[in-house]
Amino acid sequence: MANKIKSPKDLLKLKEKVQAELELRKGVKEIQITVHMGTCGIAAGARDVLGTLARELESAAIGNVTLRQSGCAGLCDREPMLTLTDKNGEQFRYGNLDGKKVHRIVQEHVVGGTPIVELMLTD
Amino acid sequence: MNGVRSHVLVCAGAGCVASGALEVSAAFQSALAKHGLENEISVIETGCLGPCAAGPVAVVYPEGIFYQKLTPVDAEDIVAEHLLKGRIVERLNYRKAGTEKAISALQEIGFFEKQRKVVLRNCGVIDPTRIEEYIARDGYQALAKALTEMTPESVIDEIKKSGLRGRGGAGFPTGLKWEFTRKAKGDKKYVLCNADEGDPGAFMDRSVLEGDPHSVIEAMAIAAYAIGSDQGYVYVRAEYPLAVERLTNAIGQARECGLLGKNIMGTGFDFDLEIRMGSGAFVCGEETALMRSIEGKRGEPRPRPPFPANQGLWEKPSLLNNVETYANIATIILRGSAWFASMGTEKSKGTKVFALAGAVTNTGLVEVPIGTPLGEIVYDIGGGIPQGKAFKAAQIGGPSGGCIPKEHLNVPVDYESLQALGAIMGSGGLIVMDEDTCMVDMARFFLEFVQDESCGKCVPCRVGTKRMLEIVTRICEGAGEEADIDRLIALGEQIRDSSLCGLGQTAPNPVLSTIRHFRDEYEAHIREKRCPAGVCPALVRAPCISACPANVNIPGFVSLIGEERYAEALRLHRNRNPFASVCARVCFHTCENKCRRGGLDQPLAIRGLKRFMVEQEVTLQVPEVVDSPENAKRKIAIIGAGPAGLSCAFFLARLGYQPKVFEAEPRPGGMLVQTIPAYRLPREELAREIRMIERMGVDIETNTRLGRDFTLKSLRDDGCEAVFLGVGAPDGLGLRIPGRDARGVTEAIRFLREYNLRGSVPVGKNVVVIGGGNAAVDAARTAVRLGAESVTILYRRTRDEMPAYKEEVEEAEHEGVHLRTLVAPVEVVVEGGRCVGVKCTNMFLGEFDRSGRRRPEAGDDEPFIVEADQVIAAIGQTLDLKQVLDGTEVKLTPWNFVAADRLSGQTSVPWLFAGGDAASGPASVVEAVGAGERAAVGIDEYLTGENHAFWREPIEVDTAFDPDADPVDYPRAEMKLLPINKRRANFNEVELPYSEKVALCEAKRCLRCDYREREE
Repeated sequence: MANKIKSPKDLLKLKEKVQAELELRKGVKEIQITVHMGTCGIAAGARDVLGTLARELESAAIGNVTLRQSGCAGLCDREPMLTLTDKNGEQFRYGNLDGKKVHRIVQEHVVGGTPIVELMLTD
Repeated sequence: MNGVRSHVLVCAGAGCVASGALEVSAAFQSALAKHGLENEISVIETGCLGPCAAGPVAVVYPEGIFYQKLTPVDAEDIVAEHLLKGRIVERLNYRKAGTEKAISALQEIGFFEKQRKVVLRNCGVIDPTRIEEYIARDGYQALAKALTEMTPESVIDEIKKSGLRGRGGAGFPTGLKWEFTRKAKGDKKYVLCNADEGDPGAFMDRSVLEGDPHSVIEAMAIAAYAIGSDQGYVYVRAEYPLAVERLTNAIGQARECGLLGKNIMGTGFDFDLEIRMGSGAFVCGEETALMRSIEGKRGEPRPRPPFPANQGLWEKPSLLNNVETYANIATIILRGSAWFASMGTEKSKGTKVFALAGAVTNTGLVEVPIGTPLGEIVYDIGGGIPQGKAFKAAQIGGPSGGCIPKEHLNVPVDYESLQALGAIMGSGGLIVMDEDTCMVDMARFFLEFVQDESCGKCVPCRVGTKRMLEIVTRICEGAGEEADIDRLIALGEQIRDSSLCGLGQTAPNPVLSTIRHFRDEYEAHIREKRCPAGVCPALVRAPCISACPANVNIPGFVSLIGEERYAEALRLHRNRNPFASVCARVCFHTCENKCRRGGLDQPLAIRGLKRFMVEQEVTLQVPEVVDSPENAKRKIAIIGAGPAGLSCAFFLARLGYQPKVFEAEPRPGGMLVQTIPAYRLPREELAREIRMIERMGVDIETNTRLGRDFTLKSLRDDGCEAVFLGVGAPDGLGLRIPGRDARGVTEAIRFLREYNLRGSVPVGKNVVVIGGGNAAVDAARTAVRLGAESVTILYRRTRDEMPAYKEEVEEAEHEGVHLRTLVAPVEVVVEGGRCVGVKCTNMFLGEFDRSGRRRPEAGDDEPFIVEADQVIAAIGQTLDLKQVLDGTEVKLTPWNFVAADRLSGQTSVPWLFAGGDAASGPASVVEAVGAGERAAVGIDEYLTGENHAFWREPIEVDTAFDPDADPVDYPRAEMKLLPINKRRANFNEVELPYSEKVALCEAKRCLRCDYREREE
């Protein structure tokens, strides 16, 4: 239960605190990160990647990203894999992920806006 | 929340809870735990999302995917598929009626797309048990703003400027009410909330209390500040336990947070709130009765003035608003009156929540801007009427309201427009009724309700509604009297004008409004002892029988077929309709549309069974005929050997008369022989039933035309005592667009008649048929068979609205006919005096017209040309009365057909009777049969002064039936059709009869609605 609200200022503070909780219900945001969660992805550790991503995004206090899941992208040997769709609709695909790489993607690409070429999948 | 990536919102409104939402929610929780997802995904139980009939429902965010009709097993699937692997479980998505495609996203579903949520802004979005979620969505900000930035006067001013009106039903301006209470003298004032929602089918207040209780608490605190009160009461009915629980919880949280109680948010403003539970008496929704009930006294109204604003609860100034009204307040304060007033109409601002119920695909709670046309609510949000039935009326405002018929589907739903039609906005119950609703029975239901709920204090309401109920009940039971309608109106108006409170004043509304819009239905009950909708038990032996214009005992002949007693079955059929074989082929079977088996799986295949039955006929089965040498001597003439004339002759012959039938064309049968193609009705089948009628003593003289070979006057001069006019509507209407006189342009009736009677007709290479009725389809399919290379039907509305029988349209397409809908021809393109094409424009569907359908309107698209060397117009039929009546003064209908009494067929000239298309305008074969029968009885009564129609006596069939057995569970047997390549180039009959085995099984599907416990 919330603390006693003694002034309109208290009310505003409480609102700001709890607002983030409801952000998810506002729908899909401008940046979308899709983790491929086929059987292959899950076997390779996609679940951990997804969990790490969610925590990383939250601790970086990033509000404009929606996390999604989808099925196998067809490159089962590069799993775990994610696809990042940026504001302009451009897609970036990262593979062979682990916790460190996820941290870098969040920090450099999502926050910094610079795609990390060496982590991206190439033909 | 540590990295929560998804929210599953499970609707926990009472509707969904009742259908198992809590079990579904628990299944989500345990499935998430099983997959180790409980920290990543939260399950939130929210308030009502709206589509209650689809419950339990859930929405998965952030994607906003809507799932419906969930079971605990489905919840596990959603977790394993969607939440784990990102695969949307489409089988649980919404599907638009009639389509297979799943619509996943909540916002793309028509039901949600067209709504505008203000009152329900938090319902289905937040967890109503957590005040934090309300606060996260600007909760209590309006109260803070009012307390710190506004004076009480400016709060009232803002509400006044918003144009908000009471949502409890009467629509009194809310701001004014607040001002009156503020200005009232008194040291103690009360703020009250009316949550005594009692209209059958209305549940918007309950949903707000369940889904967003804080919105009401906040609004009441604002109101208290505005009028100078420190104490409020919410009067809620005890039948709403979940609402009471959530509201109690919310009040507790608000107190704990200091948002109720002393010195709220440090502003010095005190306000507290208590719940008072009522025991569900409808009258306690009336304000003075409600206040007495809060005081602990018997809930009875008292006369006003004094108004509650001056003397209310405990004689103190009191402000009473409805739940939905309060739910608007916080948004008005926060977003401003101008924003609020931008929604709605000139006199009715904002939105209104409706509880959509009845015969509509999507039932539930919907919120729309006031002034939204009724048709949009029913069709775009409600998804239309299920099972392809027709919209009949909408009852708005519950037992205090009235009905709106299909002619007014365009009415903007606002206080004034509804009132002008005799309905009221009321609290927002909106019950959609289809063709299967009896309006008299509906009025009786609501009258019974108000009669039960009348508190008994004043006489007009207590006694008056009882008297009204007695009258309406006897009408439903077939004992109504001619003057009953006027009695109801007089009584209703007195009750309305003299009752003490709103309950009594509005109680007659359902009766008055159904009389206003559906008087003919009352008259059918009273005069014809007939319930057109097939509802009232005393008048309806079985819905199929009552739907049949010829009143054939359908369960009777069907059950006889089931016992292989085919000859008896046929005789039973011919007892009311001589044309068993004809109707087995061409009847439009309203019986099947009303068949109760349709509610279970599909209707019984009545026409298919009839076809099987007539195939078994070896010797002609003639029903009972009475000999009467006296009757045989009397001269009766029947003009027109179509189904109406021949039926009239048939029934007269059964009474011993020997009428003479005159037919203008070379062959008897009327439209049956002239226009219905042989692939639908083989000529021998028709000829056989006509021979039967001839053998009964009816003389048919062909090639004898009224107006050419004889006149009505010459018949009278020859000693005819009675004449039946059954000349049909034999003239097809021509086109009225430029180029109509070109060579190659013809009209469907002429085209069909020429082929059917003469055996040949010129057919083009590229044929265009204009129209959407049966004549259009018959002409198109005939053209295909006669070798046209391409045949196109142009119709200006949509396929669903084509008057032609669905089966016929489908088969036409199978045979290669192109169907182009939503196009209107504007000109026949002519070259060298011959037509070469039809110039058309695309149409789109505009507003609802008086037929309850969307009116096709021309678009801005460039016109286009459909190539055609033959254009056949099939746009309607008419009758040239001048020629046939030849100076006899007969009253006509507004559509220029002969006006005839519905019961006897008698016209304004006593010896002249009429029926069939000549009287009703173009209609169906079986309607003509019914009209012929009624006229035969009418003529007999006219000649003898008595009714001798022995065939109308109910006939009990002695077939076996076990009322306790479960209905057989197999589906309807479909009729087989001739393969396309075996029918495209000839006129062989397309439909093939059932085998005996199939027919016997199908007959067993009948539910035997006609069965009554035999009295021992």
